[in-house]
Amino acid sequence: MPRKGLSNFDDYDDGFDDDYDYDVDVEDDEHEADEPEEELVIAKRGLWRCAICTYDNDESMHVCDICGVIRHPVPGGNKTISNSAAPFKFDAPSPDDLVSNGLKSSRTGPKDSMKNKEKQDSAEHNQTSSQGRHDNVGVGGIQSFKSLPKAKADKSKETSSSSKNMEVSESLTSTMNNMSLTGETETSRDVKIRSAKSKSNHKPEEWMMLDKESDALSQLNLAIVGHVDSGKSTLSGRLLHLLGRISQKQMHKFEKEAKSQGKGSFAYAWALDESAEERERGITMTVAVAYFNSKRHHVVLLDSPGHKDFVPNMIAGATQADAAILVIDASIGAFEAGFDNLKGQTREHARVLRGFGVEQVIVAVNKMDIVGYSKERFELIKQHVGSFLHSCRFKESSLTWIPLSAMENQNLVSAPSESRLSSWYQGPCLLDAVDSVKSPDRDISKPLLMPICDVVRSSSGQVSACGKLEAGAVRSGSKVMVMPSGDQGTVKSLERDSQGCSIARAGDNVAIALQGIDANQVMAGGVLCHPDYPVSVATRLELMVLVLEGATPILLGSQLEFHVHHAKEAATVVKLVAMLDPKTGEATKKSPRCLTAKQSAMLEVSLQYPVCVETFSESRALGRVFLRSSGRTVAMGKVTRIIQDS
Amino acid sequence: MRILRRDFVRDGPGSAKLMAEDSDDLWFTYNLIAPGDSVMAVTSRKVLRERGNSKLSERLTLKLEVQVEEVNYDKDGGVLRILGTNILENEHVPLGAYHSLELVLKRRFLLRKKIWDSLAIDTLNQAKHHNSSSDLAVVLMQEGHAQIFLVGKSVGAPIETSIPNRKHAGYEAALKKFFENVVRAFVKHVDFNVVRCVVIASPGFTKDQFHRHLLLEAERRQLKPITENKSRILLVHANSGYRHSLGEVLSDPKVMKMIQDTKASKEVNALRDFFTMFEKDPYRACYGPKQVEFAHEQKAIQTLLITDELFKNSDVKERKKYVDFVESVKKLGGEAFIFSSMHVSGEQLAMHTGIAALLRFPLPGLDDVEM
Repeated sequence: MPRKGLSNFDDYDDGFDDDYDYDVDVEDDEHEADEPEEELVIAKRGLWRCAICTYDNDESMHVCDICGVIRHPVPGGNKTISNSAAPFKFDAPSPDDLVSNGLKSSRTGPKDSMKNKEKQDSAEHNQTSSQGRHDNVGVGGIQSFKSLPKAKADKSKETSSSSKNMEVSESLTSTMNNMSLTGETETSRDVKIRSAKSKSNHKPEEWMMLDKESDALSQLNLAIVGHVDSGKSTLSGRLLHLLGRISQKQMHKFEKEAKSQGKGSFAYAWALDESAEERERGITMTVAVAYFNSKRHHVVLLDSPGHKDFVPNMIAGATQADAAILVIDASIGAFEAGFDNLKGQTREHARVLRGFGVEQVIVAVNKMDIVGYSKERFELIKQHVGSFLHSCRFKESSLTWIPLSAMENQNLVSAPSESRLSSWYQGPCLLDAVDSVKSPDRDISKPLLMPICDVVRSSSGQVSACGKLEAGAVRSGSKVMVMPSGDQGTVKSLERDSQGCSIARAGDNVAIALQGIDANQVMAGGVLCHPDYPVSVATRLELMVLVLEGATPILLGSQLEFHVHHAKEAATVVKLVAMLDPKTGEATKKSPRCLTAKQSAMLEVSLQYPVCVETFSESRALGRVFLRSSGRTVAMGKVTRIIQDS
Repeated sequence: MRILRRDFVRDGPGSAKLMAEDSDDLWFTYNLIAPGDSVMAVTSRKVLRERGNSKLSERLTLKLEVQVEEVNYDKDGGVLRILGTNILENEHVPLGAYHSLELVLKRRFLLRKKIWDSLAIDTLNQAKHHNSSSDLAVVLMQEGHAQIFLVGKSVGAPIETSIPNRKHAGYEAALKKFFENVVRAFVKHVDFNVVRCVVIASPGFTKDQFHRHLLLEAERRQLKPITENKSRILLVHANSGYRHSLGEVLSDPKVMKMIQDTKASKEVNALRDFFTMFEKDPYRACYGPKQVEFAHEQKAIQTLLITDELFKNSDVKERKKYVDFVESVKKLGGEAFIFSSMHVSGEQLAMHTGIAALLRFPLPGLDDVEM
């Protein structure tokens, strides 16, 4: 008897973990390993790569064969170098000519490294990488050359050896030839060309690296999910209060106001549910962000809505999560209702978490006071939910089970005082469980990527984009680009937890105040990125998905809601490519007539409006997708190919 | 549709004198009239008259009969334009002159066809017996995005307003602005004289908030039609504010009651049955021309769903092929639903290739038939 749902999650799970079998693309953690390797490779062969045109020159050459750039530039001008090796031999094919051969991108390579390195230079100096600026490039090429040998050929493993540099240039050329070089605005064209360049050309700067001594605590983004009324907001409010993040005075205020509206029991939840609508209805409607510190982490708490209609908002919150707390109402009837396959959200939330690659989950069995802290009840819940989570491919070792009561403050930040609980439970309290969660590795060295969760406009016209950095780092003065519009601006200031901060790195949840940007161009669902490494924008995507249990069949032409990071769009299925074998990933049937529950498949969707996405192999955060229809999540998966750039 | 006179033979030539009473009727007429037919109606035309040396141009109202070359339906204007050559002898317009006839509601016209096939007769009968669908208006919304539909078909452009997170300042103002935009569109498109009832649908509580705002605005701005017809406004849950959730809204029992026996409701039900069948017994449902043809060969079709787009072919042969197909399905005891591509259900069916069928018995062989 085959285990229900298990085999179908196999590939799915593998697809989202590091040990993904049939994904040809490079994994994140291999990135660092490859770089030094290739450096060695280059050195061994006695070749050096030119900063400007990425041509591999022989060791004996001091000057690049193609473009004439000196190999080891002397910073501060070329006074010492006289006639023999000028930075630009104008008789050699000029960079302008190289543009049409698709080598332009390499020429701009040194420029952005230079931008990173020389903050003192005015921003305008390097702003537009127009073709005519020979001087800039020349200087840039000289001064930042050192960074370039690290350039890796291509993200995909097809061009593995870096000795095939001309292949690289060719592949770059071909990619770029496919793009429209119709010469619209200079900057946008540059942007498009640059995107063909591999992201590994990006070198992180010193200021980006985490200074281990100054900050011993690591960043942890924790989402709180669970069926409606399970006590998520109350739990969050309690936690914040106990850890001193909410003053006594504020708490009194909440209590008084809540009581006056006849919602006394919601006093703690009101710390998170701030809007009038939420308080009136007694539910959370959008994700509330709160900060607190545990012994080992700076925790960002993402209190999500549990109501069925607000699952799209919960998805937007869960996209930022490194780990999660799944809250379950232990009271009789409530657990069963929440756990119901069709009507409850416990399952859907857990599946969405898995879809986001969240592995560590703390299952908080709340409202234990109502069931008299009964061990049997706890065990029953643990058994049911446990087997479900196991079928979703959550590893037993990554789950922690905490019985608690938010209302009576039992087992939250310290061991329970209630004897009925402490008599049989000796495990960690919630805070300890949060502490033992491992913070994931961050892609600090990759170019900046921050999906915009929220846009705040102050009365003074100031625009701030809020979100969690998925890759890279920023600081005041950094130049950023807002997608999908492509507008560029500068970071005016950063704010984290209502306090200014100087640097934000991957994993941090911040509000970035922008300047020099049209406020209408910044919107939730967009992405902030490095100007030289724009994120892709597309309307047509190829996805590999797993159709969830209980989903209605997906037909050709089915209309669904498409969710990726914080963006959502109406989507139409334009092609059912193939059904896949869950274990091998091989296509079992091409062009099926429909997709039913628990099947893995490849399909193509067309979106109503363009969204910022990346393939999963490029960026996990921007490559995970969710498809919803009729109020349920019907499928989740990843972007395998961007078919059409818009 | 009012059928004032019928004078034709089945599968033979003849004429019918008709008058469209609602927008569905115009749609039926659009499907009835084909190139080659002729239409006679009262129309206006600019005529040049010579009086001695001066040439005067006047706009005259006269009756013309036009040999149809092209038919165009302007949904938003509610006008059917028939372009063709004049075949009625008269003193002002020469024979063979091109003229564009406009058919609007409440205008009588005579339609002459060479062949009144089963489809045409069916259409005529349906037009005669249906309840007007435009009784119902739907405001489908979610935060920041809304669209108004007059049952089935959308009216006006979608309303989009960017709204920030509710936790930040500016949320209230942006929401208010969004609601104001929706109210404006509402006032423009919803005529309580025509519409029997208005449904406001959304996920979450947006509909309740909007409803509150609408009533307050109506009070403040003295929008009598709204204040007087408060009771005709219904609030219904939708799974999303996107167009494709309209079908679900129309399936809500409260709404179904309102649109019973209208063309739109029949289509909504038929399509819903199709999806349900696909879920419960996937081999008893199929879609796509090749699959449906295969099913028909196996004499398996119980219900055929087809969009009228497929009949709108100027190619007479193509149209005949589909007409014959529909007829043969019916001969075998099946039922055929011709979806109006004017309504959202028809649009939805069109996205799923435009042709689908529910079968009498499961056909596992469908897996081998290519899509």
